[in-house]
Amino acid sequence: MVAGTAQLPNGTYSVPERDLAMTVVRDVLDDADIAPSAVDGLYMPSPRPWTEQKFFSTAMIRLLGIEADRTLEVSTGGTSGGKAFQAAVRDVQSGAVDTALVFAVERNSTVETTGPYFEYILQTFESEFESPIGMSIPGIYAQSMQRYCHEYDVDRDDLAEIVVKNRDNATDDPETLFDSAVTRTAVLESRPVAEPIRLFECPAPCDGAAAIVVTADPDVAAAVDDPATVAGIGSHHAASHHLASRHGSMTELSAVRRAASEASAAAGRSRDEIDVYEPYAPFPHVEAIVTEELGLVDRGEGVAACLDGRTAPDGEFPISPSGGCLGRGHPPMVTPLHNYVHAVRQLRGTASSQVPDATTVMTTSEHGHVNGVTATVFERGDR
Amino acid sequence: MERTPYTEPFWAALADDRLLIHACEDCAERFFPPAPLCPACGSDAVDWEESSGRGTLYSVTRQHATADGFPDRIVAGVVELDDGPRILTPIDASYEALSIGDRVVVEACDYPHEYDRGRLESAPFFAATTLEE
Repeated sequence: MVAGTAQLPNGTYSVPERDLAMTVVRDVLDDADIAPSAVDGLYMPSPRPWTEQKFFSTAMIRLLGIEADRTLEVSTGGTSGGKAFQAAVRDVQSGAVDTALVFAVERNSTVETTGPYFEYILQTFESEFESPIGMSIPGIYAQSMQRYCHEYDVDRDDLAEIVVKNRDNATDDPETLFDSAVTRTAVLESRPVAEPIRLFECPAPCDGAAAIVVTADPDVAAAVDDPATVAGIGSHHAASHHLASRHGSMTELSAVRRAASEASAAAGRSRDEIDVYEPYAPFPHVEAIVTEELGLVDRGEGVAACLDGRTAPDGEFPISPSGGCLGRGHPPMVTPLHNYVHAVRQLRGTASSQVPDATTVMTTSEHGHVNGVTATVFERGDR
Repeated sequence: MERTPYTEPFWAALADDRLLIHACEDCAERFFPPAPLCPACGSDAVDWEESSGRGTLYSVTRQHATADGFPDRIVAGVVELDDGPRILTPIDASYEALSIGDRVVVEACDYPHEYDRGRLESAPFFAATTLEE
């Protein structure tokens, strides 16, 4: 059961990551109505390489005075938060841990994009044959966007509507990075980052922190007013590394399909029993392809689903009613946890773009060029 | 104990203007980058094979945001080699003139950027250029 969630507003912070972490941990323990001593497992994505504090989880354990039976720092890019969370869920399910604290913290405002950030990104490519080319993350997604439009005869400009929808969804939420929506024209006239991708089609890096507490302790669970449960988890890594795969189209993101299928099966929920999706979709064509890989529409129909309003908060299968990382801002270590926080808000009925009577929400996280994916199904619990 | 990096023959051949890929003797898979196990069947009966470098442009971008040590704009893409594998490569051509499906050839060139390539600091790199066919 999810005992509590918390997040700090996305933005720019001038205090160390430790301070953000302590604040969001205090908030999540408040939400769960427990003391730090109730926590016996601590899980987090490894902070970014430019974070001053290394051994971050160990530093936090001391500050919180926690005697933990399990701790974990995960470093697999954008899935790190998802994998930390899923490890916590498995440890709680197995009985190794009673109450697990999962948190994530990230500051991007401390680094120049062209400096340490880019250095790290280049190092995520194959070191001898690819890193020296100088590709960025938008540089690889630009190629799958180009292929997507080419293979399915999609009007490239229509992809902007997915950004418009996600920015619009996030507008009323004061905790997101932006306080205004954008128009299709503004998206298409923003500067090119990696053609055909434009600036407003990239998730904006920012600082952030989020946390979630999962428990099997009956005393902790009994005190939860609006219970949400983790109904199923799934994960998959395709045999690919960024754009490099031996066969198949780079517009097929099989890890999404397989992770989502596993999570759905574990939850015992078919596609039409899931009310809301909060995927990790950092570029508009990725959301379109995710819509397809989830089995909601046929291949090549993901953009049309958005244009027809089917993915809107009041649509047939709402996708990213929180705005996703395109609408909210994107600290990649934190984004998977943001998705969980927003999933739980949907189940509690407190989301800023609330889907009426949502009882089942699926979230995803991904890394690389959607090479690896986690999927998690949350359900409203019994009150 | 192995003293030479597995990929060394690739760089030695590239310095001699030859592009090497890998071939599996058990399942006929052609793959890149080179590695001692075939990613298709797991066999270790793999060996170097020379590629013509010719292929078809699968995808291309012009990247505007780049790291320190790189020019303001980079043109790069994925080439599907006639010999099998796909390769991510710089492209030495005008972005406007490139389209999916263009015929290209991947060949050795001097490495033009100030990126720390470690032991390969003085080795050539490769780039694609368009072919008139």
